[in-house]
Amino acid sequence: MAFGSHARHFAGRPVVDVPVDGPLPTVDGPVSWRFSVWHFDQTAVADQLSEEFRVAFDRFVAQAGPSVESLVIGAWGYAAFHPAPIAQLCASASRLPALRALFLGDMTSEECEVSWMKVGDVSPLLTAYPQLESLTVRGGEELAFSPVRHARLRELAVQSGGLPRAFVGAVLDSELPALTDLELWLGTPDYGGDAEVADLAPLLAGERFPGLRRLGLRNAEIADDLARALAAAPVVPRLERLDLSLGTLGDEGAAALLAGQPLTHLAELDLHHHYLSDEAAASVTAALPGVRVDVSDQQEPDEYDDESYRYTAVSE
Amino acid sequence: MRLTVVGNPDNRRVDLFTRAVLDAGLPRPAVLPWADVLTGAAPPTAGTLVRVDSPGEDAEVGRLLRRSAAPARHGELIGLADTYAGLLRGLGRVAAGGAELLSDPADVAVLCDKRRCHARLSAAGVPVPAALPPVHGWESLRAAMAETRWSRVFVKPAHGSSAAGVVALAVAGRRVQAVTTIEATPDALFNSLRPRRYTDETEVAAIVDRIAGDGLHVERWLPKAGIGDRVVDVRVVTVAGRPTHVVVRAARGPLTNLHLGNARGDLAELRAAAGPAAWAAAMETCERVAGCFPRTLQVGIDLMFLVGWRRHAVAEVNAFGDLLPGVLTDGRDTYAEQVRALTDGRWTRWRSASDREPVRVGATDREATHVGAAGREMLSCGA
Repeated sequence: MAFGSHARHFAGRPVVDVPVDGPLPTVDGPVSWRFSVWHFDQTAVADQLSEEFRVAFDRFVAQAGPSVESLVIGAWGYAAFHPAPIAQLCASASRLPALRALFLGDMTSEECEVSWMKVGDVSPLLTAYPQLESLTVRGGEELAFSPVRHARLRELAVQSGGLPRAFVGAVLDSELPALTDLELWLGTPDYGGDAEVADLAPLLAGERFPGLRRLGLRNAEIADDLARALAAAPVVPRLERLDLSLGTLGDEGAAALLAGQPLTHLAELDLHHHYLSDEAAASVTAALPGVRVDVSDQQEPDEYDDESYRYTAVSE
Repeated sequence: MRLTVVGNPDNRRVDLFTRAVLDAGLPRPAVLPWADVLTGAAPPTAGTLVRVDSPGEDAEVGRLLRRSAAPARHGELIGLADTYAGLLRGLGRVAAGGAELLSDPADVAVLCDKRRCHARLSAAGVPVPAALPPVHGWESLRAAMAETRWSRVFVKPAHGSSAAGVVALAVAGRRVQAVTTIEATPDALFNSLRPRRYTDETEVAAIVDRIAGDGLHVERWLPKAGIGDRVVDVRVVTVAGRPTHVVVRAARGPLTNLHLGNARGDLAELRAAAGPAAWAAAMETCERVAGCFPRTLQVGIDLMFLVGWRRHAVAEVNAFGDLLPGVLTDGRDTYAEQVRALTDGRWTRWRSASDREPVRVGATDREATHVGAAGREMLSCGA
């Protein structure tokens, strides 16, 4: 249903909160700093950056900018009201010279429904930070992307309750030669997730991102369709990890996946949060003895008026 | 020691307490059914200790409480103010024979009115979410939210128990989202066990207008901390002023009540996430809450840690919140703990302390604390 807690690790590092005021705590290794400004009142002017966030983030950058290698941005005021601080982040690039990993939007459903988060076009971040290696963004309806070229980006993850077709298309139209790890949370049409398998065709055909080793098509209502497509997709043989978790995968999809091309070369197949029967889940595990298969968090469909409903993990 | 339980005899609460009494080697307590209390049975006499348990989950008792001709349908949300009035009437009858009640009627009267409870806690310095001034329906709710600029609130029926009728409401511009257990039919409201999400303002407005008749208490929705994919809070039972039993409630949505299909969470994990200072501060708050009800043996406190874990606030205090089956402290469940408090002197000390310090809870619990946009939202938990 929703995001429950904040990231405790990001970019392979523990996440440490930036204190509201006062100096940064001493840390004994690389960390991801988590910066958030926690206020939930609507201010007089909608669609403007939270002034509290702007001032506090500026202070943080002035204080610690050169040392920050990894940054998690949580609440930026009330995200349904205040837009994400993308322009401010871009303008801060020269003062964050070491930044290599960025997570924008690490907030829970208690802070803002993901579909209400005003994020906007995130690709300017890539243009502003040519050294960035890892980008995670979370957002909803207004989440957008424009085709970019970026030589260094290795990991891109987009977490959403619904990812529009245009977003997926713009990612696939981007030049990301270093990309090894791509994660798209496709979501449901109810929340703008109208991308279909056909929209992913160049990706599945292996025509994009030659270095791709991990593919996550997560939180997808079209999980069964994806599984059928992946059964024959040319991209699969070069993947090490395949992630169809958090979606509505059912027995049909699992059977198609197993009946298709070999998956035994995978190191990991993550299917957790699924609608597989016990038998189907067991057959996936049995068919892939050398693969770490995660079939945990089995879901039960909702029966209502003789209809059966399956839900993605994040759908609001 | 002569013990009487006022309750619904078929309810497991009565069984569990009775078993705890017998396990302690005490004589079997008499059971005085709520249905008898409400139809004129003689009250327990002086020298009796009376445990007062919930009158809930019994349609006929509900009907008697509301003084209604017809029992409610299963799950129907109806007559909460009348039910409250009936509860107070019943407690008055129970107390009329001079027996010593383990839940003081005046305390229960505050506990079962969320407005008065909030005011009492607030006056005692307990961190609570700020509350709106009285609202009487959707229009005045939206106006008050606009005035305070709050965009997320919990709308609670003033006399609801557990999550009954609670609406977690978020607004942003024209968008509205309400998560609630309420299921509306043309002629009635029902409590479902599966929270629903409403996004149509007309629908949400109609629900709020319909529950407003029995009184509303509206608090700011403070973002609760989470573990993994779950939002968590804790139910803490205090016995004779000290927290004795804790259960973690872990939910996939804003309503954490366990009967809504939510899971018990891992207490050790929660304590580790909060850290020792924040945990100690939270337990101190629980003692302060218990001190607000000094003539009452136990209360069930719903305490939430806020995102970031540094602060906490009390969401609810329940008069009948001690049903935590299987949660043991030193081998005792909440019932055994209470029986022990009766035999080891804690109850006597707790009550006599309240007699010596009659002003302990402050004298301001008649008035609601209305905190505007510029007002204090909550105290820091000191961590």
